[in-house]
Amino acid sequence: MASDPQSAANQRIVEDLVSRLRRRQLVGSRATALETLLVLRQVVSKARFSNIDQLVNIIRSVGRRLVDAQPKEHSVGNTVRKVLHHIREEYHTANEQPAVESSFSIAKFVLQGQPRKQATIPSSETRVPLKENDPDDPDSFARVLKPVLMEAIQDVFDELETVYDNISKNAKDHIHSDEIILTLGMSKTVDFFLKAAAHYRNYTVIVAETAPFYGGREMAKSLSSAGISTFLVPDSSIYALMSRVNKVILGAHAILANGGMFATSGSLLAATAARSYSTPVVVCAGQFKLTPLWNLYHEYGALDFGDPSAVLGFDEGDLVDKVDVVNPYYDYVRPELLDVFITNYGDHPPSSIYRLLKETYDDEDNEL
Amino acid sequence: MRMCVSVLIHIYDESLPSEGQKLSTPLAAILALTEMMEQSNAGTMFELLTELKGAAEALSRQSLNPIGLKAGCELFIEFITLFPHDAASFSELKTELIRQGQHYAEQALAYRAKIAELAFDFIKDDSVILTHSYSRVVLQTLLLAHKRKRISGEISGSNATCEYFSSHVLCFSVFVTEARPRGMGIKTAEMLTAAGIPCTVVLDSAVAYAIDKVDFVLMGSEAVVESGGLVNAVGSNQIAIIAKAANKPFYALAESYKFHRMFPLSQYDLPSHNPGVLSFPQTMSARARPASSGLPSKASSVLFDNGSPIRMTQEDIARNNPDVDYTRPDLISLVFSDVGSLTPEGVSQYLVGMFAG
Amino acid sequence: MPVPEPESASAESQSLTKAQKKAEGRARQEQQRAAKAAQKQQQQSGQNAGPSSNKSKGSTVQKKPALESNKIPSAAASSSKDAPTTREGAVGADGLSDGPKSRGLRIFSHFGLPKTPGHQIKGDIHPAIVKLGLQFSEFKICGANARCIATLTAFKTVIQDYVTPPHNTLSRHLMTHLSPQITHLVTARPMSVTMGNAIRQLKLEISGSDIDLPEQDAKDALCQEIDNYIRDRIIIADEVIEDLAVKKIKDGDVVLTYARSSLVEKILLRAHSLNKRFSVMVIDSRPLLEGKTLLHSLTSVIPPIPCTYALLPALPSLITDADIVLLGAHSLHANGSVYSRAGTAMVAMLAKEHSVPVMLCCETYKFSETVMLDGFGKNELGLLSINYFFALLFADAVCNQTAPMKFSLGASNSNLEVLNPLYDSTPASCITAVVTEVGLIPPTSISSIPLALGRTTL
Repeated sequence: MASDPQSAANQRIVEDLVSRLRRRQLVGSRATALETLLVLRQVVSKARFSNIDQLVNIIRSVGRRLVDAQPKEHSVGNTVRKVLHHIREEYHTANEQPAVESSFSIAKFVLQGQPRKQATIPSSETRVPLKENDPDDPDSFARVLKPVLMEAIQDVFDELETVYDNISKNAKDHIHSDEIILTLGMSKTVDFFLKAAAHYRNYTVIVAETAPFYGGREMAKSLSSAGISTFLVPDSSIYALMSRVNKVILGAHAILANGGMFATSGSLLAATAARSYSTPVVVCAGQFKLTPLWNLYHEYGALDFGDPSAVLGFDEGDLVDKVDVVNPYYDYVRPELLDVFITNYGDHPPSSIYRLLKETYDDEDNEL
Repeated sequence: MRMCVSVLIHIYDESLPSEGQKLSTPLAAILALTEMMEQSNAGTMFELLTELKGAAEALSRQSLNPIGLKAGCELFIEFITLFPHDAASFSELKTELIRQGQHYAEQALAYRAKIAELAFDFIKDDSVILTHSYSRVVLQTLLLAHKRKRISGEISGSNATCEYFSSHVLCFSVFVTEARPRGMGIKTAEMLTAAGIPCTVVLDSAVAYAIDKVDFVLMGSEAVVESGGLVNAVGSNQIAIIAKAANKPFYALAESYKFHRMFPLSQYDLPSHNPGVLSFPQTMSARARPASSGLPSKASSVLFDNGSPIRMTQEDIARNNPDVDYTRPDLISLVFSDVGSLTPEGVSQYLVGMFAG
Repeated sequence: MPVPEPESASAESQSLTKAQKKAEGRARQEQQRAAKAAQKQQQQSGQNAGPSSNKSKGSTVQKKPALESNKIPSAAASSSKDAPTTREGAVGADGLSDGPKSRGLRIFSHFGLPKTPGHQIKGDIHPAIVKLGLQFSEFKICGANARCIATLTAFKTVIQDYVTPPHNTLSRHLMTHLSPQITHLVTARPMSVTMGNAIRQLKLEISGSDIDLPEQDAKDALCQEIDNYIRDRIIIADEVIEDLAVKKIKDGDVVLTYARSSLVEKILLRAHSLNKRFSVMVIDSRPLLEGKTLLHSLTSVIPPIPCTYALLPALPSLITDADIVLLGAHSLHANGSVYSRAGTAMVAMLAKEHSVPVMLCCETYKFSETVMLDGFGKNELGLLSINYFFALLFADAVCNQTAPMKFSLGASNSNLEVLNPLYDSTPASCITAVVTEVGLIPPTSISSIPLALGRTTL
């Protein structure tokens, strides 16, 4: 199969994205998710398969390659998982047969709970019969399924396209007049959210500049140009100002299965400071950031380190040689420190993230 | 029926985890119940269920600590109740159920390996782990981690650039609590040391002293209850509280057959609690009272002078102390089980799925 | 509503500059300002005599500037003026609403406003003080100890150059002469608690100096007292603190510190000279990035102390490796809270969370009898030009991608303001121990130490 031209084309697309991910030319979770989706669409449309397992395997192997290219960019894996989930769903509906209901055992009972009285009404409409592994026409399966699959992928696509709008839909219910909001870093999601709220409310934002990448400066500029009264402060003054802050609004890099999250470094400081003043911490994030992972790194958030010269420049001369410089990208924020996740599908407390994950992905895809 | 029960208890005792055996209480209970089904001559589903329930009752009555056992019985009975029967005859159905029970017990033996696999990811190099008492699943996890790490350590050791690793072939170390009164922690320590894992026994009372050196707590369990909380050897609760105070993750390991439909509201709401636990000795107060009517200060000295010095043996102390305690869900970071790593809230999702769907 | 002002203002000045009250010129100034502000407020309270609901908020806004009025009169006056006017929506365009300051969020209005260097000199100011004022306002001399020593040293010159006018005694008149000097320094930068305490002590010495003593002898005696104060309360105190703190640093320890405290620096160097093997993590943050200075001095000893450097957001990744946290302080308050460089509170908070012991190194003369609830009630804003000076220094290597941000930030649009609070307040609960020259004490018991209260002399 590797020799045929179509899969070679697939390979090329995949490799292209892999190299861009590896060189960090592609950053930002949403952009990465979109690119991944484009690649997957291409792959599916070109792929040849005669049963569902083959298709799943193709997608998985592509997913694995992409994830390995940049393991810290969780939205890649998440997108792959989501597509797999949708594909299975489409397959099951197209296949008419309800999901595997062959044998009932205790293990299954524990896993799936009480047997459902499956009210499978035999659909009256005559469908094109879905034949797997047809020896005469190995492509028939793919031919029938592909249009539905494309539709399913398009759905994921649409969801990503509208993610900011849907998150900020209810912004005005979360931000009230004359409130003081603290945020940090540059998060497009939060940016949209705050600007949406500004249509209805008159409030103030304090932005911590978030050294050493200073995403906060960009954020402050963007917010103030939208007419929001904005204060830019150094990270050091988060605690001093916290007593007057009504809400902390943060972006996320990845939401983890236990309700914690990876976020721009600095987020943990802000969340902890908020906790000591009992200030609510609100996280705005699209559901494509839901990641079926746990924080395995008890402290170091995601163990991803940035360029040390951003912290201590070479203009410091000999200091650079003598001193270790640490510059992590992300913090791991424990679920206890967060109050709510505002997503494109409603608001969720950290404790219900695991349920959301179950609904969004299939368990077997957690490990791609 | 009478006879059945005595047979049943015998079977249960045989399959019970004697030293070195791998079967845990809930599984032993399930096996005992299937065995009983085989010998039973119930003619209808209703009769069978009544019999099973009676047997479960009898089992738990004769057990000192029936919580794990109850979890197994409960699961099996619930399963039988809900088993979609389209079998032709009842005897056929019974055979099928027996087969299911045996099959599950066999299958479930692999669960610990599955859990060990999940928990393994969390054991980073150089981590220091605190565990309590003796738990087969914890032990298996640690042994698996040790085996893997040693291999990976050797591999990187052979690599000339990774000299650091070659000197650190042993990649994690373990604190085990003594776990009075039964001292099961010592057994854990012996087994870990035998495997070559650096291991220190700490006093139950020294957990707070040691906690700052610990990276996370790994805890076995008797049962995981509906709140997402944990029932385990006494001392688990205080370890969880200490871990919380020190902001250390507290991970529980529990096979899914230990999920128990029970909602303890407090320590004293556990079925294992009885008035004898933590009771004050009657004799003391009874003797002290008549004397204290006169001169209270003298009375106590009289008591000391008259009676022989009061001796307390470990057994005396153990007698009115609890075997297990209950750990609140908010103290638990994660529950590793064969159905996945769950938050405490996630546990109740499974329980509700089975028993309340 | 205007009632609280004179009271609270005098309460503040009692602890800081009691002697000033005797000074006629200063008192007159004060009165005029108070009257002016009161007048404004009366007008304003007359305006909104109606609904008291929104007034309750207004009063809190106005009280705070009043508290500050003693220290930064012009700032407080302006803020208490335009706060109410903007609130009432009346025309607030009086001469004081200069530049961006008038549109800032009202709750920030009580922060000390950054001074522009080279402010006006009013009255007869000694050249040494003028120079010092400039150094203060340009942050050339920075840090509670350094500022206190510099002030006292400058006062020595002033005292030596002072000639008692005829028909006056030194003990009565010298303070009158010093008052405008102090005022000048305060307008350069709000007074530090250390300066306040030292000046109070000096004032005591002046009023207690023997009338019969020849003038030169009296002046010499005063200078000797100043030297003693510097020696006893700062230099020797520091040495004792070094001894105490060094004992807590063990071989193999990782010491974490934030920004730069002169005392912490001395402790670390002392530990190094005693051949202790330890490494240091320096956490730093804008606006001042003082940690780099510390880094230079720690790495220039032989052999260099192994150092790790990180900015504040990276702290969570490092705190777990630290064995002890050493922090400096600007002042320590009666309720045990610590007023220190902005960021200190977060370091202490995170250290507490990870149960890493926090040692605060602080001489007893930094004690202030006031109570501090949060870092918001009292603070000071960094000078913008200083910040940008540092930002530039710092940003060049980094912010090539964000280069256009730098100076255009403030100017580009009117909704954006840059605030650089210099201090924050760490609650007592986050501090494990305070190392003072009288030993290690819990932060809340500083007020039970007589020395800190200035009731005994060494």
